[in-house]
Amino acid sequence: MFKAIVRAERLQSTLDSVGVLVDECKIHLDEGGIEIRAVDPANVGMVDLSLDADAFESYEADGGLIGVNLVRLQDIAGMADSDQLVELELDEETRKLHISIDGLEYTLALIDPESIREEPDLPDLDLSSTIVIEGRDIDRAVTAADMVSDHIELGVDEADGVFYVKAEGDTDDVHLELDGDDLIDLVAGEASSLFSLDYLQDMNKAIPKDAEVTMELGEEFPVKLHFDIAEGEGAVTYMLAPRIQSN
Amino acid sequence: MGNADLRDLAAIEEVSFDELSGSTVAVDAHNWLYRYLTTTVKWTNDEAYTTADGTEVANLIGVVQGLPKFFEHDLTPIFVFDGAVTDLKDDEIEKRREQREQYEDDLEAARERGDSIAVARLESRTQRLTETIIETTRDLLGLLDVPVVDAPAEGEAQCAHMARQGVVDYAGTEDYDALLFGSPLTLRQLTSKGDPERMDLDATLARHDLTWEQLVDVAILCGTDFNDGISGIGPKTAVSLVTEHGDLSGALAARGEQIEHADRIQQLFLDPAVVETDPDTSIEPDVDAAREYVVDQWGVDPDEVDRGFERIEDALVQTGLDNWT
Repeated sequence: MFKAIVRAERLQSTLDSVGVLVDECKIHLDEGGIEIRAVDPANVGMVDLSLDADAFESYEADGGLIGVNLVRLQDIAGMADSDQLVELELDEETRKLHISIDGLEYTLALIDPESIREEPDLPDLDLSSTIVIEGRDIDRAVTAADMVSDHIELGVDEADGVFYVKAEGDTDDVHLELDGDDLIDLVAGEASSLFSLDYLQDMNKAIPKDAEVTMELGEEFPVKLHFDIAEGEGAVTYMLAPRIQSN
Repeated sequence: MGNADLRDLAAIEEVSFDELSGSTVAVDAHNWLYRYLTTTVKWTNDEAYTTADGTEVANLIGVVQGLPKFFEHDLTPIFVFDGAVTDLKDDEIEKRREQREQYEDDLEAARERGDSIAVARLESRTQRLTETIIETTRDLLGLLDVPVVDAPAEGEAQCAHMARQGVVDYAGTEDYDALLFGSPLTLRQLTSKGDPERMDLDATLARHDLTWEQLVDVAILCGTDFNDGISGIGPKTAVSLVTEHGDLSGALAARGEQIEHADRIQQLFLDPAVVETDPDTSIEPDVDAAREYVVDQWGVDPDEVDRGFERIEDALVQTGLDNWT
């Protein structure tokens, strides 16, 4: 059983934050809210998302699992204005999801969850640094780096207490340093890892500019990016595997 | 037994590259290269694939375009090259040579007629693996740090042996003979656009209630690369004959037929010349050196290989999250 009403903007941002990595996913419809965990086919980027029942205008569920075509569902949700309400109801018999938006009825065929890529195990990461940073600063760094390169180094200089971003192109370079004053918080440990900008750009698209993002970094380790959605009634964690740094 | 006959008997299913992630495959290098030469060069201008002095370089393009698929799906290839030709296969090779000469005559005629489509088709069929092709392929694989194994005889038999020994997870070849060489799991269509096929020996044997030895006998009755089959015996009949009479000699006796060197042919499949090997599969390519070799040394148009090298580099420097679980 699943029946819920949610503001379109919340549904859209939830779907977008998963949709930047995968085209289809499993959604757990738990009593306390929905949960999604997915990894892209190359096993490089992962998303772990929860949206609490309180984030919905109304919510009833008893622990089902559905598989959805995210691209399709994003299109449907995109039909609504951001403050419109979207009603969702699962038809257990036909395994279809009924979606209604201000009189518009859409019946979405679900995908057999078994046929969707298995949900990934969460990596076990021991990361030395924690940087709490505004979404807009991540956006600045990623946008600038993309002008010169297809990868980006994120690191922390423990001695100087700064978080830095470096991108080196064939001719041009980008460098950004943020210290404790520029950041919301910084727990500095020695850290440096190189990441693909393709992935980071996609994740960046889903990070609200005004979000407070907790970034955890290590030495040639995956990065974790954690932020709240739906005014704290939901949360997204991205994990991105590093590239091997050539010496 | 022709490939179509063996396909009828074989247990084959499509698999996604995702499922193969993390495994190793011993690739029949000649078979793989040949596929690339006949598919990449097909319908295109021969001149783009040779140097000014006429040396063949299409194989270098094929390698650069073909390898990314393995690396991007974390499927580690080990290329196995043929050694000496097996004596009994001489007839088959002679036949292929005659066929090629025929194609070459046709090609000449098509050129004279100005039939460009026929020319393209025939050019692809007359592709041969010259010594230069083998040599430059090996040089390039070396620079890319892709493991290479030299088979004492048939590359395919060596691939199957490595799969049997568990040195690799799969043999990789288009040829259905891999089943006869006893490869437990074989990947086909590694060069095609879609998903590969997985051919399963145990499932094949279970389906027909045969042993591996009996499957070889069935193949010999229908005809293999090493012998002509008995006229009028197709795969179904061969399976019933071997099932009824137990083995090849029983089946032949019942039909009053003979196959020359039958026991030697059986041994070629069941106990072929192979070497024990356990190659290092951690791949650390020198992409810059490989590019220099292909573009500067062999004069291949960078446009043909840039994207391939980029994909190889990306696939090998990008780690996966599963390294941390």
